[in-house]
Amino acid sequence: MEQSLLSTNSNEAIEWRLYRNMLLTRLFEEALIRWEHEGKISAQTFPSKGQEAIAIGCCAALEKGDTVIPSFRTRGAMIGMGVSIAEQLREFLHSPLAAGDARDAPHHSSWPDRGVMPGSTMIGGHLAMAAGVALAMQFEKQSTVSVAFFGDGTLGSGDLYETMHIAGAWRLPLILICENNGWEMATPFSKVRRTRALTPYAEPFGFATRSVDGNDALDVYHSARWARATARDGQPVFLDCLTLRLGLYSSHFGEVRGAGVENDLAEWQTRDPLKRMADWLMRNGSARNEDLARIEQEEEEKIEAAFDTVRGEK
Amino acid sequence: MVTLTYRDAVGKALEDSMREEPRLILIGQNIAGHALKILADRYGVERVRDTSISESAMVGMAVGAAMKGMKVVVMIAYADIASVCHMAIVQSAAKLYYLSNRRLSCPVIIRLPIARFRGHGPEGNQVGASWFYNVPDLNITMPGSAGEAYWNFREALQRPTPTLFFEDRSIHGRTGEVADNNPGGNAQITRSGDGLTIIGAGRAAALAEDAADQIAKQGYSGAVEVVSLGFIKPLDKDMVLRSTGKTGRALIVQDEPAWSGYAPFVRCLLDDLPPGKLRCAPRILAGADQFLPFWDERPFLPSLESVLAVARELMQ
Repeated sequence: MEQSLLSTNSNEAIEWRLYRNMLLTRLFEEALIRWEHEGKISAQTFPSKGQEAIAIGCCAALEKGDTVIPSFRTRGAMIGMGVSIAEQLREFLHSPLAAGDARDAPHHSSWPDRGVMPGSTMIGGHLAMAAGVALAMQFEKQSTVSVAFFGDGTLGSGDLYETMHIAGAWRLPLILICENNGWEMATPFSKVRRTRALTPYAEPFGFATRSVDGNDALDVYHSARWARATARDGQPVFLDCLTLRLGLYSSHFGEVRGAGVENDLAEWQTRDPLKRMADWLMRNGSARNEDLARIEQEEEEKIEAAFDTVRGEK
Repeated sequence: MVTLTYRDAVGKALEDSMREEPRLILIGQNIAGHALKILADRYGVERVRDTSISESAMVGMAVGAAMKGMKVVVMIAYADIASVCHMAIVQSAAKLYYLSNRRLSCPVIIRLPIARFRGHGPEGNQVGASWFYNVPDLNITMPGSAGEAYWNFREALQRPTPTLFFEDRSIHGRTGEVADNNPGGNAQITRSGDGLTIIGAGRAAALAEDAADQIAKQGYSGAVEVVSLGFIKPLDKDMVLRSTGKTGRALIVQDEPAWSGYAPFVRCLLDDLPPGKLRCAPRILAGADQFLPFWDERPFLPSLESVLAVARELMQ
């Protein structure tokens, strides 16, 4: 029953689906960090707190047969593609039922039959693989798209430019989604590149580009719908999703951004994508505060129950 | 069975694979309009694709296409360029089958012609197979004959893990027989003998054959046995042990320096022979531990003369 909140119910209003999947991502990642600190799991978590709208909004716009390759901070892409919490936990706990046999680090776990392809720890390496998936889709004349997520640190990787170079020329059905949070671990973007905005990087390669409010799940969703149509139509797309990481760099390293980030964090807390979606639901009369509190409570319990179930799997 | 040059055997392997495998594509620079124009005309530019000079992305894309069930041959201009796409070969291609828990296969060939004796200088005349020797799930073949060139290519496309295909251009013109059936990547006894086993791959295997023929001509017919490895990883250990166990003497010839590669591996493998089987200590004849100058590569590589000299020493 662990799939109750996942995006498989296509009749559900899109706003609700976005809210539920972002909530599930946030709660699951918080639980992962908690379990690690309690010694229950040993995997490092790279939380996407504050950035959940990007993966969730994008995946909600995809169709059957589309594929994603998550970055190491895109847990939401697994959730958005309908992989249950239990299925993901199996990889953390090396359950005998783990589809990937817990071989890959859990932030790169894959479920190819669900459209979640294996990524790479080599920054940028997965972008070429996503372009290869897109090439196969084009070759087979499938009307599907291949999506890759990556942080703006990847702008320093040569593979990004090689991939855009070829994908633009070959008009591959490829969507590159940058989670542009302005930091490369402890280094602000301004130390290593000239501009925060990334659309000018992709345009010369023949990519259609759009700047997206990465903290607005509805903006991401609609942009991804447009991106999907555009990519299928023969032009690859680069979505520059502006955001700020509200959580830790990772459960091991903690906060590494140094003094000065507090002001930014305070400002971006007010744009928390989960809160914004909750506000939208309440403003439009489809949710009350107590409904959301109850849902959160239920989901927390389900996540804990999934952990116990998976830990008991023999 | 047909007799072909090594070069034509590779061409036939490409052609037959394209005909029999509709989901196979070739990607590389200057192939559709130049090097493989015949295949492009026959099978279309959708399957014979010219790329930019982007080797890292080319290999990465081959892996991505493989995730969707395609087969890909990545045509790299020459073997040294494997260093440019080392990450994609080691991290993306070699690991796909393992990381996906065998749910995804990677039947990808990375074709790496060895540009020996062509005046490329030290940035273009290396072999580089040994750079990859400790990467699990990465097949490496260095065919030494037309038959191996053809069948190891065909064999590689049937494997769930990728293959580095080190095509030795210095022996492109040698002719040989291509058998009707796939020997499945096993090593081949290309000369039979009972006094000494010479083991090699690629040009080194060809040198060993020439040395065996020379020794036979000098009145020692049937003295030298040659094991042509073909696949140097995984490697046909049984054949190596069977032959050396029979002859009791072993010489391993390798173009690359001996720090790594098949030569030191095979040398260690011989410890698996029962005690007393070897009549003398095995020898390695390898390339010098230096880069190869533009002006001449030959003085620093095994040659027919040096193979003959060591072979005679061992058999005395």
